[in-house]
Parts: sequence; C-alpha cells; structure tokens
Amino acid sequence: MVQWIIIILLVLVLASIPVAAVLGVLSLALDEMYMNGRLSRAIGEFTWDKSKEYILVAIPMFILLGEIMLRAGIAKRMYNAVIEWLSWLPGGLMHANIGSCAIFAASSGSSVATAATVGTVAYPEMSKRSYNERLFLGSLAAGGTLGILIPPSINLIIYGLITDTSVPELYLAGIIPGIILSSLFMGAIVIACRARRPWGGEPVKTSWSKRIKVLPDLVPPILLFAVVVGSIYAGLATPTEAASVGVVFALGLAAWTRTLSVKMLKEAFEGTMRTTAMIMLIILAAVFLNFILGFMGVTQALLQFIADLGLTPTQTMILLIIFYLILGMFMETLSMLLTTVPIVFPIVVQMGFDPVWFGIMITVLMEAALITPPIGVNLYVVHGIRTGGGPFNDVAYGALPFVVMMIVMVALLLIFPQLALWLPTLVYH
Amino acid sequence: MKVFIQLHALLERISRIAVWIGGAALMICAFMVTGDVILRKFLSITMSGSDEISGYVFAAGTTWAYAFCLLHRSNVRIDALYNFLPTWTRAVLDAVGLLLLLGYMTYLTDKSIDVFVTSWQRDSVSITTLATPLWVPQLMWVAGLCWFVLTLSFLLVYVLVSLFLRDVVTVQKIAGAMSAEELLDEETHGMDTRRRGR
Repeated sequence: MVQWIIIILLVLVLASIPVAAVLGVLSLALDEMYMNGRLSRAIGEFTWDKSKEYILVAIPMFILLGEIMLRAGIAKRMYNAVIEWLSWLPGGLMHANIGSCAIFAASSGSSVATAATVGTVAYPEMSKRSYNERLFLGSLAAGGTLGILIPPSINLIIYGLITDTSVPELYLAGIIPGIILSSLFMGAIVIACRARRPWGGEPVKTSWSKRIKVLPDLVPPILLFAVVVGSIYAGLATPTEAASVGVVFALGLAAWTRTLSVKMLKEAFEGTMRTTAMIMLIILAAVFLNFILGFMGVTQALLQFIADLGLTPTQTMILLIIFYLILGMFMETLSMLLTTVPIVFPIVVQMGFDPVWFGIMITVLMEAALITPPIGVNLYVVHGIRTGGGPFNDVAYGALPFVVMMIVMVALLLIFPQLALWLPTLVYH
Repeated sequence: MKVFIQLHALLERISRIAVWIGGAALMICAFMVTGDVILRKFLSITMSGSDEISGYVFAAGTTWAYAFCLLHRSNVRIDALYNFLPTWTRAVLDAVGLLLLLGYMTYLTDKSIDVFVTSWQRDSVSITTLATPLWVPQLMWVAGLCWFVLTLSFLLVYVLVSLFLRDVVTVQKIAGAMSAEELLDEETHGMDTRRRGR
C-alpha cells in the first residue's frame, strides 16, 4: 500500500500536475478505496476549520510585510551599508551578499524574496569590480536560502502547523544555526578567494567615518527584526500578532521613505495574495492527506518497515538526510516539506529526536534543496537576474561550495543538537 | 477565439479586484491586531475578536485569491521533467493538471457549500464572545471557492478548445508552468531597483 501511494504521488508530481491537485485527488482516492469515502464527506468542515486557523494568519502577514519592505526602498541602502562593514574580508562584496541576505532574511520569511531582492541590488556591482561570476552568483543564491532559517520564517510556521510544534520555539531554535550557517558561507568565500586571488575582485575602499555614516541605513531592518521577533520572545505577542505589528511598522517605514502609495499597496496586495493562495491551496490539501494517512495507519506500516531494517536512530536519520538531499535536487521545497513531513515526522519522533530540532534540520535540508540542480528555485532566481546572460551551469557551480557548507551544518546539527535546542530550552523550559 | 480572450481578461480583472479587497482587508486586520497588542500591553485592556475576525478575513481572502493565482499560472508544479518534454506533451499535461485540480476543487466546494447551508439553516454562531453568525464568513469563503471553480472550468474549456485548434502557444501562455524568467519577474515586480534591460 505504502509503496503504491509513493509511486502514484511521484508519477503525478513529475508529470507537472499542480501539487495541490495531486495531494487532493490522492486523498479522495485513498479514502474512497480504503474507507468507502467516509472521511471525505467531512472535507468541507475540515477545510473551513483549518482555513481560519489564527496561527496561519501569520503567513499572509509575513508575506505582506516582505512585500512592503521590498517596495520601501530599504534594500539598496542596506546593501551599501553592509558593504562598508564586511567588504574588507577576502572576497569583498560577496560577504556583503551573505550579510545583507542574513539581515533581509530577518525581516522576510521567504528565500526567493531574499535572493531576488539582494541579488537585484548586488548584481550590477559584480561586473564593476570584476568578481568571479560563478562564485558571486552562488553567494547570492546561497545567501538567499537563509530566508527560511533565520526567523521569521514561513516554512517554520508551516512545519509547526503540520507537526503541532511550537512556532516561537522553532524561531528561537533557528537563530544560532542561522548565524553559524552565515559564517560558514563567509568561510567558504574566504577559503575560495585565498586559493584563487583574482576571484575576490577589486577591494572596496572604506574608512571608519564612512562606516559610522551608513549605520542609520541599517536601523530600519534591525528595528523591524527587534519588533517582530523580539515581541514573540518577550512573550508579548504570538507569531500572528508579531507579524501584524510588523506590517504596521513596515507601512510606517514606507511612509517615512515616501514610497507608500495606492499603486504600491495594490502591487503589494497582489503579490501577497498570489503567494498566499499558492501556499494555502497546497497546505490545505496536504493537511487533509495527512488526516487520511493517519486513519489508514500508514505511519505504523512505515515504522514497522524501519524497525525491520534494524537501523539505529542515528543511521536512520543519516538515511533520511541523504533521502532529502536527493529529493531536494528534484523537488520544490514547500511541496517537499508538505508531502514528506506528515509521513516522516512520526517516525523521527518515535525514534527519540526532538521535534524542534528536526524542524531546523529539515529547514537546512530545504535550503540545500533550493540551490541544488537541476531544480533549485534560488538558482533560477539568481540566473534570472543576470542581464548579461550566460549558461545556467555558472550559478549551479558557484553554489556548490555553499552546498558543502550546508552539509557541514547538517553534520554539526547531528553531532551537537544543542546548537538548535539551547536557546529554546533556555527560554521555555 | 476572441470571446475567450475577452472572457479571460474579464475574469482576470475581477479576480484582481478581489485580491485588492482581500489584501486591504488583511492590512486592516493587521492594524486591529496591533491595536489589541498595544492595549493589552500598555493599558492591560483585553479586547477580543480581532483574532477571530482576521481568521475569517484570511479564509475568505485566500479562496478569492485562488483564481488570481491560477490565471497568473502561480500554482506550484514540479517542472523537473516538464521542461524537457515536447510542446504537445506539455500542453496535454497542462490540460490534465487543470482537470484534476477541477475535480478536487469541485468536490471540496460542493462539501463546503454544505457547511454554509448547515450553518444558515441552524443559525449556528461561533462559540466566542463575538458569537458571529457563522454563515456570514462562510458565505464569503464559499463564494471564493465557487469563483475559483468557475475560473478553472473556463480555463479548462479554453485550453481544450486551443488544443483542438492545435494552438499550443495559447495553451502555454494561459496554462503552462512558469519559466524561471517569469517567476523572477513576478517576484521582483515593483521593486525599488528595477532590473535594467528588460
């Protein structure tokens, strides 16, 4: 039974059928075959209950927040400010790419938005200063992935929803791995540019007076991060409330930079609702499939299968990691999360892994999926930014060193689970 | 075919307006919720209701945005194989995808109408201090679903007619999976630094 479900799922997904339709039709068919369609009769009530769930309201709010920030014109000034602070390192502007992505990620919940925003601002600088194109593009694609690890992250909300894990704890757990991963990325750039000096481009001339002068440009994103994430941790607000406060704050910021207009709002609404609809259509179908699979006892069957293999929990986890790395090459991340986690999560918990820890682990694996060819959304996004054109392979090769660093991060998380769990334990237990 | 083009544009126009309304309603909710947080923190006044209302706005706004998402070809599809397939095969897969989505959504919408009708007949109210008559938000929500099913049906007919006329270019334009280029344009639409040369 399990193998058939997986095969049908794979065939339809690979046939480029909309993922929501695949999940929806599969749940209806499974219910019809194994339970005479009893559960499907409740799909209306079930979907209504999930559709108005308050924690999910955080998703459109965070998207709206990102859309407003994107249009408030802070990205370019922020990038220029980060250049002053980070470009003394070997690899110059590429560190500014990672740094800006990390900061932008802290006010945005999406990796694609992060890569697109910072990439668009950074790209013109690349040719001006004769950087190695591959590595430069790779740093943008990889930096962008930080969007889903550094809070606020939309993926972590979705993970929290389908696994009943606390979103604030997940957010806390993402901070330290986010900082470590950013440093690893920068380390990769330093190593590459030490080995091949011309890759590092022309150094940027800066001074302390310049650095101090640009500091105000970093205030808005940092303040936003403090408001949104700070209010969650201080226990003042739930993630949905924090996201709403963030939206109001971002609107204020846009008014201050004189970018707020009816036209801008309309564009932001279109972007927000389009992305929300796209995500929610799949989420609702996945949650229902999850419900059906629970009734069918698929998890028990899989657990039995794994028990029969006689692997230790660590060995199973390594197998899962390899599975996700391979799957991530071919699958878009959100679909990957929603189709696999309902099946994998109970097994992982059963084996004694922490739900919060696994959330961070799977997020890092999703980040890798974003920049591994042939299907890596961030690779496409960064490739699309190139006005000069060039082969797609450039971006894919350039991202490789960063994929290696992500695997290092995965290993670190496996060996030191405290990296993710220390902060949440400190605050909540 | 002219009729199809006009209808397509009309559906897009209406869906776009629905999306503006939905987005604006969400923004208003953001202000309401922010007000709640501030009152609770600084004046220790607990207002209730903004959470419930945002939930309804979110539910209805989302269903009304489905059609917009569809017309902008933003439904998530895995194109690992798709991109390597001949144009004709792709066009057929586009049609099959629409058909399956329509099947699932029709079933879901049918059962959702039942939910609304039941609340209406029984005068159900939410078990909160607001005691919202549930049929009100449910009607907005179900109407969005119906609009989506209508749009899906139209698009499927449009695609089938185009296939019949051997016009695969149109199929690609209205129902094909988005290319990386188009994805990026949608993502950065309206950004501060416009990409040059496009």
